[in-house]
Amino acid sequence: MAGLPLSGIRVLDLTQVYAGPTCTRILCDLGAEVIKLEGLKRTDITHLLVIADNDSHDDFWNRMGYFLYRNAGKKSLTLDFSEPDAVELLKRLIPHADVVAESFTPRVMAQHGLDYESLRKIRPDLIMISLSGYGQNGPWRDYTAYGMGLEPASGISSLTGYRGGEPLRTGISFTDPYSGIAGAGAVLTALHYRRRTGKGQYIDLSEQEAAIPIVGYALMDYALNGREPERIGNRSPWFAPQGCYPCRGEDDWLVLTVRDDAEWQAFCEVVGQPKWAGDERFADVLGRRRHHEELDELIASWTREQGHIEAMHLLQAAGVTAAAVLNPKEVLLDPHLRERGYFETIDQPGVGPRPVPRQTGARFSAFDVSTRAPAPKLGEHNKEILQGLLGLSDEEIAGLEERKIIGDKPELAAGEDLMRMFVQWPVTTFLQMGAVAALEPDYKQQLGLEQKAGE
Amino acid sequence: MSDLALDDLRVIDLSQGIAGPYCAKMLADCGAEVIKVEPPQGDYARTLGPFPDDVPHHDKGGLFIHLNGNKKSVTLDIETESGRIVLRKLLARADALVESYAPGHLTSLGLGYDDLKDEFPDLVYCSITPFGQTGPYSGYRGNSLTCMALSGLMYITGDPDREPLCTGGEPAEYFAGLNAFIGVLAAVEHRASNGGGQQIDVSMLEALGAADEYNTTLYSFLGAIRKRFYSRHLFAYPADIYPCKDGHIVVVPGATGFPLGMAVLMEQMELEQNPLFANLWMRSIQWQKFEELLRPYLLEHDWRDLLTRAQELRMPFGPVMSPRLLREDEHMKARGFFQEVEQPELGRTQVAGPPFKMSETPLRSGPAPTLGEHTQDALLELGYDAEEARILRERGVT
Repeated sequence: MAGLPLSGIRVLDLTQVYAGPTCTRILCDLGAEVIKLEGLKRTDITHLLVIADNDSHDDFWNRMGYFLYRNAGKKSLTLDFSEPDAVELLKRLIPHADVVAESFTPRVMAQHGLDYESLRKIRPDLIMISLSGYGQNGPWRDYTAYGMGLEPASGISSLTGYRGGEPLRTGISFTDPYSGIAGAGAVLTALHYRRRTGKGQYIDLSEQEAAIPIVGYALMDYALNGREPERIGNRSPWFAPQGCYPCRGEDDWLVLTVRDDAEWQAFCEVVGQPKWAGDERFADVLGRRRHHEELDELIASWTREQGHIEAMHLLQAAGVTAAAVLNPKEVLLDPHLRERGYFETIDQPGVGPRPVPRQTGARFSAFDVSTRAPAPKLGEHNKEILQGLLGLSDEEIAGLEERKIIGDKPELAAGEDLMRMFVQWPVTTFLQMGAVAALEPDYKQQLGLEQKAGE
Repeated sequence: MSDLALDDLRVIDLSQGIAGPYCAKMLADCGAEVIKVEPPQGDYARTLGPFPDDVPHHDKGGLFIHLNGNKKSVTLDIETESGRIVLRKLLARADALVESYAPGHLTSLGLGYDDLKDEFPDLVYCSITPFGQTGPYSGYRGNSLTCMALSGLMYITGDPDREPLCTGGEPAEYFAGLNAFIGVLAAVEHRASNGGGQQIDVSMLEALGAADEYNTTLYSFLGAIRKRFYSRHLFAYPADIYPCKDGHIVVVPGATGFPLGMAVLMEQMELEQNPLFANLWMRSIQWQKFEELLRPYLLEHDWRDLLTRAQELRMPFGPVMSPRLLREDEHMKARGFFQEVEQPELGRTQVAGPPFKMSETPLRSGPAPTLGEHTQDALLELGYDAEEARILRERGVT
């Protein structure tokens, strides 16, 4: 893509699931050609997560929401590394690659002779990034890691939790996207250096380490005072009151932060409680901190009568830092995010148009980082890449297909029929459990993707 | 000495707080010369602590030191015309500007992107705000908590029968900081091949919201509104934090941990035949029954023992680290993660190392500047003489 900062840059993407694919998705948005490599016996597990409309007919692995979010715009090449011939083909692709990204545990690439030292003999200015759980050296280097384990490993969970309660995880694998973003920054830094000097390099990103700076305040408190953090729920170490308060709807909530005395006065005025403003106990930040629980009661007595979104607008108009706690559907419908075009509508073949949040958090005035294509079907670009870049003949392609080194169907260990059942998510059961708040069959109409009947 | 990747870049950091300063710190650690332009009273993060023995001091704040290593500090009152003239001289020699004022504030001072682009056509102008430069909430006030709330991440974090919970450590700020870091680098690459600077608009809300794993997808693909349920991963139960004998452990059996690996770990081979071990959906649905088996075992064992044995079985269990555990941990020591810097006013201080390691251009760690430490030098470099620098100081411009 001419005009984009990474146009002309080609990335071989051996990463899977969440962190690595976030890194390469950002590079793709910025103009790089990203070729995602998967082995047919080792396809990305997100080919099995969040199937469109819970309907697993035909090539169900190509209709997954999770896969779409992090792989839109990329090309797909299947190559099974358990076959030496596949490893050879990969090595033949290296001269055509500027960047290799991988997210295996550290021993895997070396086992296949694909470590950085080997690859840079093929292409001396190669940039390679490894995103692993715990980094390429140290006693935990061989530990396997999923994102769910790494947020606690980075220290974030020690700060997250209800007051006096247990450490808790965020409701997503929080450090995965964070590491992916950091990784994209690392690759951009390396590309900048290569442009100046012609030198490539190797980037060792430990997902545990990447996220540690998020707990910087607590780290410094330990460094300076030997103090370990307490879990403070939704309160602030600096401001009072701060919290999450119940609103009129069944599971509707409002967060607010009163940052100074003036904001406190403004808050009391806008909620129609001048006597709180005059209460000496609450006049300064220390008083409001000391009497936080009484304040929480008073604030909740007001919020319980309010709609969470209306209360946000009312308080913000008065200069108070406040926000509605939006559920995922409300996020999709939020007018601010919609006006800013935060959700792009991607028309995935076999799925139809769906809103997908932009994965690159920066907007640029000189170019647009819109996603340029839907997610690839598995193996969609096998021929284009193997013939276009490596000049393989039709016969050779057919031979690779026959040996299942390349292909367009995953080799699922549990068998295709069983997986077809497995990927249908038991939504009604999750609804009964309470892990799903509501199930809305007309969601496409609600999202404006389909017209209502009769319109 | 090894090279620094970005030592051809000069950045003016006009931002305060966390997100903008973290972006500029990443640029500085990668080698850029970063001049932090602070109001004469200093970046407000200097007031946020933590301070040694809780005694406030503008050069001793831990969070400030964490976010401003390797920068130079120049004090400048940009609310005055005299200050703005100095700022323009700094910008004339800069590749990028990072700022975090409320949308419109710099424009009101004649320092908006449109005010500067003709004078500095190659300048990369990066703005970081809670909700972005445009849209109905652009004038709203925000912080990490409001971004957690509006991104949907808070709704799905915490216990189902309690209020939603925000994640500790002000994460939205850091997500925005890294996105701005990417933004500046991408704009610099764009300038190298296409010429010209540009404006970058980073919204903390969008930077954090893009991290969402599958929650908006569950609605747009299935019509399901997910609700917080002990912050549990819906496709990989248990994958959560549990108490053990001496602390906590993250039980992540992974794609192949059930039923055999977990039965071996729990030293009860008959569990391999238990349907709660064999069937993911049954385990997720009858989770209380499963936890009656799991929890007592964990409470009898130390986290290091559980972690080591689970990993031997190729199950991706994780540790629950605190600042103390991170600092004392053998793995962190072997990696050399924490760095010691000679911090003015504090002496040798341990700070977090870089988020990634680069073989040819390792990131550097350095002390944060004291307030206005480099004002005089910067003024002289810009061509002011000592007398003029004195006047600017005494008039409160610097």
